[in-house]
Amino acid sequence: MRRTLSLLLIALFMLAPLAAAHAQTRGRRRAAPKAAPKPKMPTSNQPASNADAAAGKPANVLEPSQSPLVSVRLLFMTGTASDPAGKEGVASLTAALLAQGGSRTMTYGQIVEAFYPMAAGFGWQADKEMTAFSGTTHVDNLEKYYAIVRDMLLDPGFREDDFARVKSDAVNFLKVSLRQGNDEELGKEYLYNIIYAGHPYAHHNMGTVSSLERLTLDDVRGFYRQNYTQGNLVIGLAGGYPADFPARVESDFARLPSGGPAPKRFAQPTVAPGMRIEIIQRETRATAISLGFPIPVTRAHKDWPALALVASYLGQHRSSVSHLYQRLREARGLNYGDYAYVEYFPRGMFQFTPSPNLGRSSQIFQIWIRPVEPQNAHFALRATLFEYDKLIREGMKQEDFAGIRDFLTKYSNVLTSTQGARLGYALDSRYYGTPEYTSFMRESLSRLTLADVNRAIRQYLKTDRMRVVMVTKDAAALRDAIVKGTPSPITYNSPKPADILAEDKIIETYKVGVRPEQVVIVPVDRVFQ
Amino acid sequence: MRYLILAALVLSVPLLGIAQQTRGGSNSGSKLFTYPYTIDDLPNGLRLITVPTDYPNLVALYTVVAVGSRNEVEAGKSGFAHFFEHMMFRGSENYTPEQREEIFKRAGAETNAYTTDDRTVYHATFSKEDLEEIMKAEADRFQRLKYTPEQFKTEAKAVKGEYDKNSANPFSKMNEVMRETAFKRHTYSHTTMGYLKDIEDMPNQYDYSLEFFKRFYRPEYTTIVVVGDVTRQRALDLTKRYWGSWQRGTYKADIPDEPEQKESRTAHIPWDAPTLPHLAVAFRAPKFSDTSKELAALDLFQSVAFGENSELYQQLVLKEQKVDVLAADFGHQADPELFTVYARVKDPAQVGYVREQILKTFERHKTELIDQAKLDATRSRMRYGFAMGMNSNNAIAGALAPYIALERTPETLNRLFDTYQTVTAADVRDAARKYFRDESRTIVTLATKGQNIAALGRTVEGQN
Repeated sequence: MRRTLSLLLIALFMLAPLAAAHAQTRGRRRAAPKAAPKPKMPTSNQPASNADAAAGKPANVLEPSQSPLVSVRLLFMTGTASDPAGKEGVASLTAALLAQGGSRTMTYGQIVEAFYPMAAGFGWQADKEMTAFSGTTHVDNLEKYYAIVRDMLLDPGFREDDFARVKSDAVNFLKVSLRQGNDEELGKEYLYNIIYAGHPYAHHNMGTVSSLERLTLDDVRGFYRQNYTQGNLVIGLAGGYPADFPARVESDFARLPSGGPAPKRFAQPTVAPGMRIEIIQRETRATAISLGFPIPVTRAHKDWPALALVASYLGQHRSSVSHLYQRLREARGLNYGDYAYVEYFPRGMFQFTPSPNLGRSSQIFQIWIRPVEPQNAHFALRATLFEYDKLIREGMKQEDFAGIRDFLTKYSNVLTSTQGARLGYALDSRYYGTPEYTSFMRESLSRLTLADVNRAIRQYLKTDRMRVVMVTKDAAALRDAIVKGTPSPITYNSPKPADILAEDKIIETYKVGVRPEQVVIVPVDRVFQ
Repeated sequence: MRYLILAALVLSVPLLGIAQQTRGGSNSGSKLFTYPYTIDDLPNGLRLITVPTDYPNLVALYTVVAVGSRNEVEAGKSGFAHFFEHMMFRGSENYTPEQREEIFKRAGAETNAYTTDDRTVYHATFSKEDLEEIMKAEADRFQRLKYTPEQFKTEAKAVKGEYDKNSANPFSKMNEVMRETAFKRHTYSHTTMGYLKDIEDMPNQYDYSLEFFKRFYRPEYTTIVVVGDVTRQRALDLTKRYWGSWQRGTYKADIPDEPEQKESRTAHIPWDAPTLPHLAVAFRAPKFSDTSKELAALDLFQSVAFGENSELYQQLVLKEQKVDVLAADFGHQADPELFTVYARVKDPAQVGYVREQILKTFERHKTELIDQAKLDATRSRMRYGFAMGMNSNNAIAGALAPYIALERTPETLNRLFDTYQTVTAADVRDAARKYFRDESRTIVTLATKGQNIAALGRTVEGQN
């Protein structure tokens, strides 16, 4: 909240996957409230799509409207969890090369040139089970734009120089931007890795530095051949496209190999019992903290709305209304913000709303504590666990429940406020088998009771498999303090109310239930290596 | 323009939504900003701009205060405008922070604020039926802000947390050093975040914060922008009711002029952590004016010379692959600021080469005329890019806010785009000749400590 200038330039220097894909990264602008209701027009929807997918043909999600803009989202139901062992990163490199490389008939330089007067682009995003390509163009330019992106995906150039560039971008993203330029994203991305240790989700979507360095253009060709099939494709179109456009797209993309592996669903990870804390040692001013563990609840699960409500209460992303923010930042001035999630939420530093098309068969519960001063790191960890444990013990109160339910009901309109976002959410609804997102949220939230929410808290929120990542300069001292349970009193620059001081007394010796051998130090150059 | 150009031309994000462009506005014509709008001035100096749109049910309320880090003229007070923005969330006479949060929560509102060199902007988007309650709460904090010294000190720690979280990124430091090297007297010499030493002293500045509020949080500095499902009459009635008795102030910051730069300057930052070398080449550039051909020419030049389809980008990023980030930044600001080109260089040995290529690009355009087709394509791109970004009430208000802070009217955008239409290749060449002179240049480099890169400048302190 309340930030200064230059977020965009900072985002720019994080580069690679961030720069590639997301309209939401545009500076301070948050997605905005919902526009006019869509005109009622025939759409092909889920049942038809599923039947098509089963038949090994492309499925589609169509959202026609009168808008002079056309949004295109081509979603392949494959992703980084399908990276073969030893070839981590090949799914992302393939997507990057398709979206940021030439087609057989045009070099990438020529493509950039052609997009330029249209103010168009073609973004990519590769996650565990989904790879999305997206762009928006004015309908006047649709034919020209589509012809280019169609060839990029169907008739890729696979040139060595494009490959060398996107590969070097990927390596630098991991080695420089993430390891050495953004402790918060570093901590979160590493947390995602260790939560899924031993699972196909375990590596960073961009791969590892060592695997990337080994990857060849032939690896990319192979991944493309095997995974970019008709059966894996869902065509998403929204806006004022001509009536015959969807059929043309379908017919064009029928050139992809037919059939193909049915969309894979991945099992829940097996997490070794007990809390584990990994401390990344890095030369840095502050200490970033992230905590989390896997949950079996996705949007497809009946308890998802309840858990989404809990996360919003505990730490609605970038909002000052939520509980952790109030206790850690507003009352104590510990840091800049504190948030909680029930879904994977990458690039949170740059976005107010999550990107769509990150559908997964396994999700996570996650808490993000923004960097604190190193002398307060132990206290901040304890304070977070204190609040978390208290939530599990006491549950939510009726008045908090009602307020957050109202907020979330209206907020779903904000999330789907633009045509591109609505299309993205529609594709995700197809993946999860849920109704249109805003009505899904409105209806499920209206049925939800406080008892449901408190039962979900007791059922899913646990501490015994919590994974914690901290990024700090003096990792040894922090490890030592945590292992020994050294008291971590906090001092303030101004008098505090008695209730805060009393709570601090409890927090400063609050037990972090972790065995000494489960607190380990990781040199930063080993992360994503 | 900063956000638009960077977003559209540099990040090359897929932009969304042009729907309102043709649906909403009357008199589309050749205007860039096609929405009908009204301007109402209250006797106390407060201005209300109402932009009804056909995005239904929702309203974006932006309160734009023409004060930013530019106004921080006193030593030791850098970063104060931004810090003060934080304090605006700490309660007012009739609303505790908790009561305020509750109102915004019930409204399902998205609310936030930001500060730059020239402005502080408070914004919220919510259902139209909540407009009165939110206007009332907003008016209270602008006129009757109230917080304790204890709250003040606690918030100062959160601001320090904001500095800390940014500090891992080398760009933050580059920006800081560029400004203090390029500007010697003007307040653009410090960042909006401010110097660390000033941030650390903020807890001691309670009395000054009260003074700051008295000086700048005044109707003559403030414009209210209401965009969405609203009528002029409704917005005006509420503005008169809740903001009408706000008292005009008298203070004007005496912002020093920056003397002409007479020698090229350099600075180098040794960075404690491993990183790729960063390079920034900046020239002193003009302040915003919607009728200035020079400014319009530099805007177009920025995209033609350094955008993704520029020869330099294609050479350094795509062909030679010596650079993985290349971006130009030229803001529209109240006072003359910088035209800057940033690059991240993959190989430390190539920093000198990359610097030479950037300088050559500036130099070449002092004599060569840019291609007319490229100029036209750039104008098309800017127009599309702007229009495609205006895809919601919030986006429209957000795009207006910088220009409201500068000129207090959306018309400035139309005038600016009219000026773009008049720019010729010769105008671009002339502007390049006038501004891209060696003696008005500053180059800042950053590299891992101990790393020998070409083009080292005067060494400044390292990583914080």
